[in-house]
Amino acid sequence: MAVEATTGAELILTRRSFRSFMSEVFGPLLQVFLFVVGSAVALGGVVILLAVVLRGTREDIDLLQGTITILPQVIVDGLVRGFLYATIALGYTMVYGVLEFINFAHGEIFMVGAFVGAFFGAALASSGMLTTINPILFVIAAVLLGMAVSGLLAMSVERIAYRPLRNAPRLVPLISAIGVSLVLQDVMRMIAVNTGLGFNAQFRTPDLGQPLVLAHMPIADERTIPVSVDSRSLIFIVVAILMLIGLNYLVNITKLGTAIRAVAQDRPTASLMGIDVNRVIAITFLIGGALGGAAGILFGMRVGTINPYVGFLPGLKAFTAAVLGGIGNITGAMVGGIVLGFLEAFVASYLSLFTRGQFSGASYADIVAFSILILILIFRPSGLLGEVVAQKV
Amino acid sequence: MATDNRQVDQPASLWTQLRTMAGRGPAPYVLILAYAAIVSALLLVNPTTGLGTDMVVVLFLLLMFVIYRAPTILAFKLTLGTILLAVVMPVFGVLNPFYIDVVTKAGMFAALALGLNVVVGFAGLLDLGYVAFFAVGAYLWGIFSTPQISNIVSGMEPLHGSWFWLFLAIGLAVGAFFGVLLGLPVLRLRGDYLAIVTLGLGEVIRVLATNLDRPINITNGAQGIKDIGRPPLFIEPVFQAFGITISQVQEYRLYFYFLVLLVLALTVFVVHRLNNSRIGRAWTAIREDETAAIAMGIPLVRMKLLAFAVGASFAGTMGVIFSALQTFINPPTFDLLRSIGILSMVILGGMGSIPGTILGAVIVTLLDLQLLPRIASELAALQRRGVPIPAWFDPAQYQRLLFGLLLIIMMIFRPEGLLPEDRRRQELHHDEPEPAPVSKTVKPAAESAQSAEG
Amino acid sequence: MALLEAKHITKQFGGLTAVNDVSLTVEAGSIVSVIGPNGAGKTTFFNVLTGIYKPTKGTIIFDGKDITGLRPDQITALGICRTFQNIRLFNAMTVLENVLVGMHTRLHAGLWQILFGTPSVRAEERASLERARELLRFVNLDHQRNQLARNLPYGDQRRLEIARALASSPKLILLDEPTAGMNPQETAEATNLIRRLRDELGITVVLIEHDMRVVMTISERITVLDYGTKIAEGLPEEIRSNPRVIEAYLGKGAAAHGVERVEG
Ligand SMILES: Nc1ncnc2c1ncn2[C@@H]1O[C@H](COP(=O)(O)OP(=O)(O)OP(=O)(O)O)[C@@H](O)[C@H]1O
Ligand SMILES: [Mg+2]
Repeated sequence: MAVEATTGAELILTRRSFRSFMSEVFGPLLQVFLFVVGSAVALGGVVILLAVVLRGTREDIDLLQGTITILPQVIVDGLVRGFLYATIALGYTMVYGVLEFINFAHGEIFMVGAFVGAFFGAALASSGMLTTINPILFVIAAVLLGMAVSGLLAMSVERIAYRPLRNAPRLVPLISAIGVSLVLQDVMRMIAVNTGLGFNAQFRTPDLGQPLVLAHMPIADERTIPVSVDSRSLIFIVVAILMLIGLNYLVNITKLGTAIRAVAQDRPTASLMGIDVNRVIAITFLIGGALGGAAGILFGMRVGTINPYVGFLPGLKAFTAAVLGGIGNITGAMVGGIVLGFLEAFVASYLSLFTRGQFSGASYADIVAFSILILILIFRPSGLLGEVVAQKV
Repeated sequence: MATDNRQVDQPASLWTQLRTMAGRGPAPYVLILAYAAIVSALLLVNPTTGLGTDMVVVLFLLLMFVIYRAPTILAFKLTLGTILLAVVMPVFGVLNPFYIDVVTKAGMFAALALGLNVVVGFAGLLDLGYVAFFAVGAYLWGIFSTPQISNIVSGMEPLHGSWFWLFLAIGLAVGAFFGVLLGLPVLRLRGDYLAIVTLGLGEVIRVLATNLDRPINITNGAQGIKDIGRPPLFIEPVFQAFGITISQVQEYRLYFYFLVLLVLALTVFVVHRLNNSRIGRAWTAIREDETAAIAMGIPLVRMKLLAFAVGASFAGTMGVIFSALQTFINPPTFDLLRSIGILSMVILGGMGSIPGTILGAVIVTLLDLQLLPRIASELAALQRRGVPIPAWFDPAQYQRLLFGLLLIIMMIFRPEGLLPEDRRRQELHHDEPEPAPVSKTVKPAAESAQSAEG
Repeated sequence: MALLEAKHITKQFGGLTAVNDVSLTVEAGSIVSVIGPNGAGKTTFFNVLTGIYKPTKGTIIFDGKDITGLRPDQITALGICRTFQNIRLFNAMTVLENVLVGMHTRLHAGLWQILFGTPSVRAEERASLERARELLRFVNLDHQRNQLARNLPYGDQRRLEIARALASSPKLILLDEPTAGMNPQETAEATNLIRRLRDELGITVVLIEHDMRVVMTISERITVLDYGTKIAEGLPEEIRSNPRVIEAYLGKGAAAHGVERVEG
């Protein structure tokens, strides 16, 4: 090779590919970021407006002030919920992309991840290492462990309960997936109860540090209240972002990612091009499961106590997020997760405030999530970022 | 020992021989009567609660199935079935209350599952929120027959138990109404989306039931509604005429048993009629191929809505019965697991198959309410005697595991169910010349039709 | 009188224009073919006519009524029915039931009538069974009526699709490649059957067909599509010698060659 002669050209080549590299890996994240800001601003605006309008209805407290006081906390909450749904939704969307199949058991894969972390914490505690271990090391180890177990589990589930049904009518694998989800719940319960972890398992962690104070917000009479992010939420957000970067790299840059996208687009043709479709599908489950497992660890770490049924609701909502973003679309799943998370956080915090506690925001947030699912499916089934595709006849 | 080889050579022919022998002439009548007599005697002579009686009850229910499939005339089947269900079972129920409760529940779930079968089995719409309609019916009667109603309509007194009968019809209508209401927005969706959305709707109903104690106390929230009204008894004089005195509790037990039996019979009738009509055919066509169905002139949304409404109306009525039977309901009664339990009945028996669905409902209910708890207590007994069985192994506690394995295994090995739907029904009903009286039953008619074609 | 008038039909999928400004007039009682290379947009055109797809542009007049944008079931009820290129029978139903499903729009039994089993419902069921058997005899499938549709041989399945479409008593039937995958003898039978649809039942026929012998023997008029556009229309002889058609089918060189031959 005439290396010297082509150096200049190569330089341009690498520079260009570096740019495309950046845009493929960070472009989706930029989009996610825009939706984060957009959701926060839009919803924040709405609640402030509502507060102004409804101000007269409350004499006991200043509604506007109350609204603004909790706003930063609500936004952080929205971010955490958003990234939770986004990471779980990726599993749904990737599997849907390659198989057109709703992996109903994905919520349980997430739950298993959370339990792996709880076991890890308990094991460290019983060996007395929990107080001495470096918190960052703990988080990294727990996340990696959760990813490995959940990823492998998702892959085996595919092998056992879905692959034999691949050419059956649509409802058949779906029903099998419902079965898997029930089995996983009870098996995990059996394990948890009989290993001493208990049905309501404590997720033990080393001391993860104090809340991070971002600013002091002035309220009336020259008093201020601190605006803070608790450390667990912060860990959640940071790890989730790192994973999303990793996933974008994997799917958009690597050869494996190309294979996955090829299978998603046209399975028979991909198979003719020499791609081992079964392997790609298995790896898709592995990746989706690993993301779900990581989400489970982060979730468990943040809420502190988990049980074998915690996967159900987040799973359902993450599916909603995937549909909201456009199922089969990876960036869409992240965006959908963010939007749904913010909406829920706002409803959960402000519904009670605005209705004088008559309607519990926390409960009705679920209803809001499902209503969104239904509305989206009716009016824009392709989701926020999906393309409209007519079914071929 | 010498016969062994021959058996290996022709096991099928021996089996066939036995079958033809048992199915020819008076043999089936004699065999079935003997079977019925033995089982009835065992039940009535030794009405204790235990593993032995469990087995006999299973044999009793199996007998129903045998009668259904047997090559005998219809009149014989109906007479024997009626005697067993309307006389033997109730008398046994007076002697031992436990089993008739299980049978009542099984009947109730069979009716519910038949409703779901219309939606899932006939029309192919996977509805994971079916229990929502059941809840609507249950809360309807629960609210109107208790002081809850005074919270909603001030000054209104709880309704008297005799309103129950009217509420069976109202439950039907309200169920259908909710079916249309929830179905209208979602029935345009593709199959797998529909499953998730109905699941969400089921959860919404449960969340509403939990939270609608504020601002107005409609559902009494998580505490649930207790002391739900029951219909007034009117069968007492009948018993007195026979010189039998039984307690009110026992009377109610029989009352609901017969009520459920009646409703189940009606349900079977309705579902059967629908299935063999242009509506049933349209449903099956939709299940098979939506695009082809609509191109052949079937209004998709209307037909799907109809399926949804029919299924929901059964659930509504059964909900009314359920709340009166239990006298207590709360939100967890109507969780997703209940929907999935009913779904697994349909799938186990065979989607689209009426006898299959009933069979599935009976098997799952028996397993769930009777056999698993029994196995658990037997295991515990063994354990106390020192047999090394791990303490945590309690089969009665692993309902989800049971349903889950059932769904997976059925999907992989037998997706059409234990008793698949009979797809040759046209010839059985209208097509062929009237078969000879003796063969005027399900099986031989099918065979004669085949040979006529041959 | 024109039974069907499709005017300036365009159908786009995203950026792809599958049918581009195609007009077609079908006289009542005629047999018309739509031909064109693979991917020309023929099936898409049928899907637009039957309401499966909504046209991006254009109007469809059938029997004097504007049917643009109606649902497929409404269009079928008005008298257009079709078969599919890739056979779409109701596989788990019997042959007879498939035909009965096709009759759906012509039956009137309502929910309550069915539940109460009124005499009118029974009479209707009996009559519909009679009619279904008649149609099955027409396509020579009556002996198979109790078979599941999925168990029929291929040629029989094609004929069953026709019988099912006939069950809706259409005025116009659209056949999408009715002889695809058939051997010469079956093809001849199918051609004969198509002609009988018009001659004996008086149904107007539009068919998509790749087999030129079939097209040339039975069509009275032919419309040619290529890349979504109508490139020719006329009598079979005109189409046969149309250089643009030959070009579309065989490529440019062949077209020149073909034209030479015609001239020579
Ligand atoms: N639902 C759809 N979405 C996107 N593109 C479509 C859809 N249906 C058809 N097409 C495209 O429209 C074009 C025309 O397809 P069509 O099936 O109408 O062709 P055809 O003339 O019937 O071909 P053939 O002879 O192979 O049947 C093709 O390029 C096809 O890929
Ligand atoms: Mg075509």
